[in-house]
Amino acid sequence: MNQCYGCNTCKSADKPLEDYIAKLPMETSHHRVEGQSTKCGFGLQGVCCRLCANGPCRITPKAPRGICGANADTIVTRNLLRAVASGSGCYIHVVENTALNVKNVAKTKGEIKGLETLDRLASILGIEEADVHKKAEAVADAVLKDLYLPEYEKMQLTEKMSYKPRYDKWKELGILPGGAKSEVFHGVVKCSTNLNSDPVNMLLDCLKLGISTGIYGLVLTNLLNDVVLGEPEIRFAPVGLRVIDPDYINIMITGHQHSMFTFLQNRLTDEDVIEKARKAGAKGFKLVGCTCVGQDLQLRGAHYTEIFDGHAGNNYTSEAILATGGIDAVISEFNCTLPGIEPICDELQIKQICIDNVAKKANAELKEFDFENRPAVTEEMIDEVIESYSARRGSVPMNLMEDHGYENTLTGVSEVSLKKFLGGNWKPLIDLIVSGDIKGVAGVVGCSNLTAGGHDVLTVDLVKELISRDIIVLTAGCSSGGIENCGLMTPEASKYAGPKLRAVCESLGIPPVLNFGPCLAIGRLEIVATELAEELGVDLPQLPLVLSAAQWLEEQALADGCYGLALGLPLHLGLPPFVTGSPVAVQVLTEDMKNLTGGQVIINGDAKESADILEQIVMEKRQGLNI
Amino acid sequence: MKYVIIGAGVAGIEAAKVIRAQEESAKIVMVSADTQIHSRCMLHKYIAGERDEKGLDFTEEDFFGKYNVQWLSGVRLSKVCPEQKKAMLDNGETICYDKLLLATGANSCIPPVGELRKASNVFGLRDLPDAQAIVKEAEHAQEILIIGSGLVGLDAAYGLLERGKKVTIVEMAPQILPVQLDEHGAVAYQKLFEEAGVRFLLGRKADQAVCEADGKIHKVLLDNGEEIPCDMIIAAAGVRPCTAYLDGSGIACERGIKVDSYMQTNAADVYAAGDMTGLSGIWPNAADQGRIAGKNMCGIETEYTDTYAAKNTINFFGLVTLCVGKIRAEEGDEVQVREDSRHYNRAILRDGRVEGILLQGDISNAGIWQYLIKNKVDISGIEKDVFHINYGDFYQVGERGKYLWEGI
Amino acid sequence: MRRIMIEYDKCDGCKSCSVACMQAHREDEGTVYDLDMTDPKNESRNFILKDSKGRYKPLFCRHCDDPECVKSCMSGALKRDPESGHVFYDEERCGSCFMCVMNCPFGVLKPDSVTNSKVIKCDFCVNAGGEPSCVAACPTKAIFVEEV
Repeated sequence: MNQCYGCNTCKSADKPLEDYIAKLPMETSHHRVEGQSTKCGFGLQGVCCRLCANGPCRITPKAPRGICGANADTIVTRNLLRAVASGSGCYIHVVENTALNVKNVAKTKGEIKGLETLDRLASILGIEEADVHKKAEAVADAVLKDLYLPEYEKMQLTEKMSYKPRYDKWKELGILPGGAKSEVFHGVVKCSTNLNSDPVNMLLDCLKLGISTGIYGLVLTNLLNDVVLGEPEIRFAPVGLRVIDPDYINIMITGHQHSMFTFLQNRLTDEDVIEKARKAGAKGFKLVGCTCVGQDLQLRGAHYTEIFDGHAGNNYTSEAILATGGIDAVISEFNCTLPGIEPICDELQIKQICIDNVAKKANAELKEFDFENRPAVTEEMIDEVIESYSARRGSVPMNLMEDHGYENTLTGVSEVSLKKFLGGNWKPLIDLIVSGDIKGVAGVVGCSNLTAGGHDVLTVDLVKELISRDIIVLTAGCSSGGIENCGLMTPEASKYAGPKLRAVCESLGIPPVLNFGPCLAIGRLEIVATELAEELGVDLPQLPLVLSAAQWLEEQALADGCYGLALGLPLHLGLPPFVTGSPVAVQVLTEDMKNLTGGQVIINGDAKESADILEQIVMEKRQGLNI
Repeated sequence: MKYVIIGAGVAGIEAAKVIRAQEESAKIVMVSADTQIHSRCMLHKYIAGERDEKGLDFTEEDFFGKYNVQWLSGVRLSKVCPEQKKAMLDNGETICYDKLLLATGANSCIPPVGELRKASNVFGLRDLPDAQAIVKEAEHAQEILIIGSGLVGLDAAYGLLERGKKVTIVEMAPQILPVQLDEHGAVAYQKLFEEAGVRFLLGRKADQAVCEADGKIHKVLLDNGEEIPCDMIIAAAGVRPCTAYLDGSGIACERGIKVDSYMQTNAADVYAAGDMTGLSGIWPNAADQGRIAGKNMCGIETEYTDTYAAKNTINFFGLVTLCVGKIRAEEGDEVQVREDSRHYNRAILRDGRVEGILLQGDISNAGIWQYLIKNKVDISGIEKDVFHINYGDFYQVGERGKYLWEGI
Repeated sequence: MRRIMIEYDKCDGCKSCSVACMQAHREDEGTVYDLDMTDPKNESRNFILKDSKGRYKPLFCRHCDDPECVKSCMSGALKRDPESGHVFYDEERCGSCFMCVMNCPFGVLKPDSVTNSKVIKCDFCVNAGGEPSCVAACPTKAIFVEEV
């Protein structure tokens, strides 16, 4: 027997990481997969209902209805709507905080880094204002105003932010959203006990929530952040556990709200603060990227080279990042902060601080982000992190993995930076698609989970399959973290691409997988798609474009997915979203959706089969466009 | 019909049960040196003081009454005359039989080193009288030397540790439990015993031992010249079937008494079962042999086929181990190891079959391994890590809800 | 004898049977609402296995006609009751050798997780009138009792 906590860890696409985790002396989520391997079939199918005291009711051949009379279709779609509403709420929370941050920065005449984006937004929103700060404030106000509308008043920016054919389609289907926050409210009311029992009606609500989530939670969050945090610039940067430099006081950041970190991150590079670090024996401070907020820093890394060395890994890498011993504090503000990090933080004396109470961790100190008092709160946090560093360094064992990951990983890709890279317009990309050098585009997005083959296993296998078929892959979310740590975002990865895509990559010096950053940047992918469609004069469902949330994990991913469906895109999922117990839900999502929005859900857990199906769809769309 | 069973170990007891089930009116006589029915596998619990003599009984209450078996206890067999169908006992009596079962087990083998066999403070650990003698001697013995670190040696050590004795164990092999475990698996137990105070001398042999004036050995010289002081010695270096009484009977004997696959000896109507056959030294097999002999004695032809004996479970200090099949890998074998802070698992595979398994730390639901190994079941088609294979991979429910083995 | 029959293709892996078993054999009093799911003392005696194809295979003691566990028991702790045909385990007599664990060809038996000194074995809920709790809890009737 040895020191390993347990040898039955799940597989990871990232083999060195798999090996590292298997040898850890502490438990991680990778260890816990085994113990949870027998899943309740009722849960998997979504046919367990706990909405009232008569329950839990479960659907079986001999009991096809719950006590109240709800059948599988009602139970499943209620559960799904509940999940989508919840997921939407998460993203709306993010955009609300982001808009408030822009407003506060503008009001206090703070730095506006993304002037181009500000102008772009102001022009889309029809805001005419010369003063930069006033313009930014007006933009933020416009977004906030929409978010706070009642459910019965349609949001104002939806039409301005949408591609016209899509907007018309949504209007026709009656799924234009009212105030985004109110829509969440509406959704959770609808799926409560003994209210709605109409599966199709509830599925349409899911689409409506998808639209508000996508346009506000995703697209606008990115653009608002670009205004104050700086626009992405294409560059190469390191990824993986190698980014942890033990000579520094290291703060791992988790969550989705980059705007909450900017003040701290700027302060950490001020000479007086660095001097504090030096006194404690460190060279200074570093933020270590983890989960989507890490991806967001990575994406905008060109602006933060001093404080940020790179993205270490996705949600299910977070425990390993901590286990290196090189992290002195975790500052979290939103989800993908696994409860499983808590015992590890305790064991390795890592200080946990939470700056948004929606994500308060049990062992963390809550220091709510407060724009007005942020200087004082930031000083407190800095002192606590230094204290943690001093207390733990020397006594806590280091278990670094300095060769993990890759040094030259392409990052900073956005709808703007990519277009700039291509020469200022999409024509080169369209030409490549038309010529067939790039057969199609796949957005492989969303999370990472441990059950679709293991940690990032399906995602990475699917990406390899797709690029081998000359389909270029764009990523956003924790999927990016896994894919990049497996080396697929380095230029050398072009060797995995099919001959045509490989030639394209080699001539441009880019990898066959382009990372747009956090899951929020799914919104950026959709801007790219929309701009391509506009350029071609077609609607989105006609594009040779597919989406895959191969290893979707969370309710947020389901809300994202609904946006994809509302946009009319084919959406692949590796695991079913607990709906297969309902024939109606399956029929609507996988078949009828094609007639409703043009989208469809494809559920398949096998990388090759999934790639076959997605390639087939791409080929059909190409045929439809006569290319 | 008159059935005479010599020996009251599990083989004899099981034979009696089978015979009674077949023939309600048969006369069954059991002759045993044992005066208390006891499980030889639990003697360590007696030495440790955890159980009294009665607590070692493995039979149901009023066994002899319930099964209507006449029991002559405290009596040994001294001679068998197959031609006359007679057995002579050491109390001078002679009993006739129609069918005779010899199930007298085995005796500890005291190694022929120095005067070990002569000394009054050297004991084997085979049956209750051995254990009783050890407990008695331990009343005034403090330093115990155990020769052999197999299961019997460790059982003795466990029991004596519970009595607060200082225990030293000499083992010829470079590891403890050399028959049961690989070196790595053995180290885990070695550590536990060492933590409990045992000193191991591995790769060493007892070389010289001389009785002193009191007829006892007070020191043993090892082959490296080291001198081990001791007040008592327990020889746990193997057993030898009890066959002395067969001399002149014409019943064939080699390492043990020779039997065919129906558990019959070369003499008509004389059967043998258990340790004295030398077929295997483990309880379940002895019990099986007893049952099969019993059936054949009743005229129900039954072959002894499940002879697989390379299997053991070990449980000391709460650390459990199961080992079945091959322990040491040979060239061309594939070895898979899984290890963490609470488990050590090792599988030896060859040609898509598992040839040996060792599970340490957790043996839950591990019964399938014996089946898979002894039946040489091909597992190459199962897309799973070997340690995750379970009965679900062979699952089939047959008539009356019995489990069957799919495709086997 | 009465045996728990199994139609495994009806099993949904919900483990209601395991929870019912834990509840039926808990040491303290209470209802399923307050059953401590994290106490290792509360072990289920039945198991839902998964085969390599991900199908559920319920593993329930067969109370075999010719039980290998009984045949390998060296302490007399495991016995087949001639009347009911069920195999019962007497914790007091058990010598913790676990040869029964090794000899059950289907791997139904296991040592207890807390002390490794007892065998975890189905008792057909004999103390609750011999109606197995697992069977009563199965929502799909994948397990049911039959006279065989």
